[in-house]
Amino acid sequence: MKRIVTFSLVAACSMLLLLAPQASHAGRRVERPVRFAPVHIYLDSGGKPLAAYQFELKTTYGQIKIVGVEGGEHPAFREAPYYDPAALMNDRIIIAAFNTGRDLPAGRTRIATLHLQILGDAQPEYQLTLVTAADADGQTIPAVLNLQTGENQ
Amino acid sequence: MKKLVIASISLVSLAVLVLAIAISSLSCSHESPQAERAAPAAMEQAAPADASGAKSPAQPQSSMEAPDQRQTDQDQDAIFLRKELELRQRAGDKKGDALLETDEAGVPYANEITYPKNWGETTERGTATGTVARPPLLGDVPLAGPLFRDQERETGLFYSESEMEPSDRSVGGGARKAGRVPGLAGQGAMDSVSGVRVPHPAWATVTADEIWVIAKERGPERPEAVGPEYETPGSGAMLAQIKEEKVPLPLKHTAVKGHVSGYIATVEVTQQFHNPFSEKIEAVYVFPLPQNAAVNEFIMVIGDRRIRGIIRERQEAEQIYREARRQGYVASLLTQERPNIFTQKVANIEPGKEIDVNIKYFNTLAYADGWYEFTFPMVVGPRFNPPGYSEGVGAVGRGKAGISGQSTEVQYLKPNERSGHDISLAVDIDAGVKIEEIACASHVIKKETKGHAKAHVELSPLDSIPNKDFVLRYKVAGGTVKSALVTHRDKRGGFFTLMLYPPDDLNRLARSPMEMVFVLDCSGSMNGQPIAKSKEAVKRALRKLEPDDTFQVIEFSISASQLGPDPVPATPENVQKAIRYVDSLQGSGGTMMIEGIKAALDFPHDPKRFRLVSFLTDGYIGNEAEILGEIHKRLGASRIFSFGVGSSVNRYLLDRMAKLGRGAVAYIGLNDSGTEVVDRFYDCISHPALTDVRISYGDMEVSEVYPRQVPDLFVGRPIILTGRFSGQTRTTIDIAGRLGSARRSIRIPVEFDDDAATHPGIACVWARKRIEDLASQATYDTDPDLPAEIKQVALQYCLMSAYTAFVAVDSTQTTAGDHGTTVAVPVPVPEGVRYDTTVQD
Repeated sequence: MKRIVTFSLVAACSMLLLLAPQASHAGRRVERPVRFAPVHIYLDSGGKPLAAYQFELKTTYGQIKIVGVEGGEHPAFREAPYYDPAALMNDRIIIAAFNTGRDLPAGRTRIATLHLQILGDAQPEYQLTLVTAADADGQTIPAVLNLQTGENQ
Repeated sequence: MKKLVIASISLVSLAVLVLAIAISSLSCSHESPQAERAAPAAMEQAAPADASGAKSPAQPQSSMEAPDQRQTDQDQDAIFLRKELELRQRAGDKKGDALLETDEAGVPYANEITYPKNWGETTERGTATGTVARPPLLGDVPLAGPLFRDQERETGLFYSESEMEPSDRSVGGGARKAGRVPGLAGQGAMDSVSGVRVPHPAWATVTADEIWVIAKERGPERPEAVGPEYETPGSGAMLAQIKEEKVPLPLKHTAVKGHVSGYIATVEVTQQFHNPFSEKIEAVYVFPLPQNAAVNEFIMVIGDRRIRGIIRERQEAEQIYREARRQGYVASLLTQERPNIFTQKVANIEPGKEIDVNIKYFNTLAYADGWYEFTFPMVVGPRFNPPGYSEGVGAVGRGKAGISGQSTEVQYLKPNERSGHDISLAVDIDAGVKIEEIACASHVIKKETKGHAKAHVELSPLDSIPNKDFVLRYKVAGGTVKSALVTHRDKRGGFFTLMLYPPDDLNRLARSPMEMVFVLDCSGSMNGQPIAKSKEAVKRALRKLEPDDTFQVIEFSISASQLGPDPVPATPENVQKAIRYVDSLQGSGGTMMIEGIKAALDFPHDPKRFRLVSFLTDGYIGNEAEILGEIHKRLGASRIFSFGVGSSVNRYLLDRMAKLGRGAVAYIGLNDSGTEVVDRFYDCISHPALTDVRISYGDMEVSEVYPRQVPDLFVGRPIILTGRFSGQTRTTIDIAGRLGSARRSIRIPVEFDDDAATHPGIACVWARKRIEDLASQATYDTDPDLPAEIKQVALQYCLMSAYTAFVAVDSTQTTAGDHGTTVAVPVPVPEGVRYDTTVQD
């Protein structure tokens, strides 16, 4: 009988020794490295004046959070573009802008800079989708969208 | 026996398990996301504290910090302070001279403690030693500004501590590690003998952004401000008597541009921050906006670059901001402390640099008695917080961060201090109908009419001190004001606001007898002009009572007292007695409004009379949610009319009191006539209200209309309904209600089609009303889902709330060093409010 009691006490102490450090460790948050970097978005409208655009950015690898949206280089798109707050709730970054003026950019131009928080060490892989690009008459124009990361610059 | 053994084994195992779980929960408790989410829904009123600190010492530290690390830091801080005190004692309490070292450039640094370079110049008690001819060092001003200026009347120690990241703190604090600190943080009781601040246990828990404490040594006393001028600090007389001292601050200018279309205002507020110091700073500014402002745009401007801020869950935004600040990025964060109080933080402003923050909001204008009212508050009034309350808004003197123990704190300039911060304001009005008159009792304005329906109004540069509400009223042509509908459609659907005017013929009906209860706030903040205005208004109201009415007068400050045990008939004798009672009242002490609420609502209602409770107060309290909850609980058949008395009152509280109390609100500014306001009030209540109002929208599909419970319709007081709709049609709105015992119905034809007036801000206005409704519900409903609902709406419509925040980071480049020192923007006390009776100093 004594053996059983002793055994149970030893087992209990062993459990305690095993569980306590784990519990303590569970209380600590594992910090992921966080850094900030811009991503510059360029649109090539092929010589046609660009009056409006909408695009979506996401990552196929890595985790990002948008922390600011800045306008482009041409005066027509220098104002900070809008983002879709409802889409952001589903981790989708949708950016759009338009200009009703006559001085519009044509060819390749930087239309926006997105300021991002990058979580983790990994280099994110981005996927950029042009939803639409339009001229001053609201007609869709063929355009090419690409990005340039601003890290290490 | 076997059973006994099994039982003992089970018991031991159970104990071990319980112990393990306890350890686990202890380790996790301080950063449990569930715990974070479990904040009471009423926090829309009492917003969650900023985990980054500079707020309540009792708040948990940043979730980025591990618990054991925090403890270590606290211990080290305590050890550090003890060591510093020992060293100081050894050095003969010469304020750290013995510890002072300088680097090659002559800038002070130390491994443990460093005082500003010119420290030695000011070590002799009460000795002024000349102007410091250089850009102010951080810590010189505004943190301990007077210490380093000519003709200073006090000397002392000041300590500071920048927020430390865990890794830095473990070696004694980031700033100390960097080798340059303006001082050392500390908070504690003043040692009555040495004049040195001694740490108390609470200090160990204060690991805020920054704590600044000025320990005054005994020196020449500050000249006492005496005489009648002291009743109105901020007046020219006051400034003439005591030499004005200009305090350089990181907030240079606020520019306000409003555009009013119909009864909807679109307002852009630009706050221009700069760094007048020689080191990098973080600026923190607590400021007001209208209580119904739907803040939906936030842009940080750096030179000609404009970075749009992103709406995020508050805690997430705060974490992003803290991390960006720590890494040296220019970043800004906007959080909401109350629906009318916000905190702006701008991190890593380098010396000499400027950063603007642009905020945009929509709101609906108030309309009363023939006048539309555009209001812009300029300063947060000093709030009183009941004992034991820590989620309030503290009012402390400049450089005294942390002493209030409240989650939000406003620093105030002393009466003889003046910051360079000024304000410009311009409003364009497009009323849609002829504007008959424009008036502004609060400020000096320049006005210009453009055609019959448009006007441009500007604040005079001579009146640019931001120490009172800007209140602009304009009257449109009689007979042209009709129930007005404004709509907006987008991919989310249709939204509308409807301003509903009471039927004209209410004017022809006489009211029933009333039971009037006047409740006067006699706290310290009302001392002087505000209480004089309150008395003027109540005496006028007493004289206008009719013989069938009964009345009661209640005053409250720390406690409540009243004219008599029960309401008395409005006989001439009783009225005279009441007037003498009112004349005897004086303002002093705290604002235990709860006592006034209880005294006003907790006695049996006379069913033959319409009970009307009038609160006259500046609303300077920090526990709004508690007060509103009590009103909801105790209201019964009463109606509440709230009168905001003063130059910069808590309109959020007063509006909500009136809404919950199914009454109305009116404001008596210091330049307004109290008797005129009361006369208009009597015009309003001298006719029966349309009660139990029900609205039918005919064939239209209308949903989610706010306020959910339609308030009573009083003469001259329209109500604004905001809702969603679908379809396009013309319809007739049926409004049914009771006039005394009779039923009454009104029909209003409206058009929800494309011809209706439109405004792009209507969706935001609707979302803001929904948030307000949910938040109001949260003051008396413990539904744990309410915060999540508020957050959902706010995120979806890109709106500020207690649970959301705007954050913007410029990720293109970092500034040198880690993060700057936090500098709060102190503000003047509102005009007519006494610093000495309201500010903790």
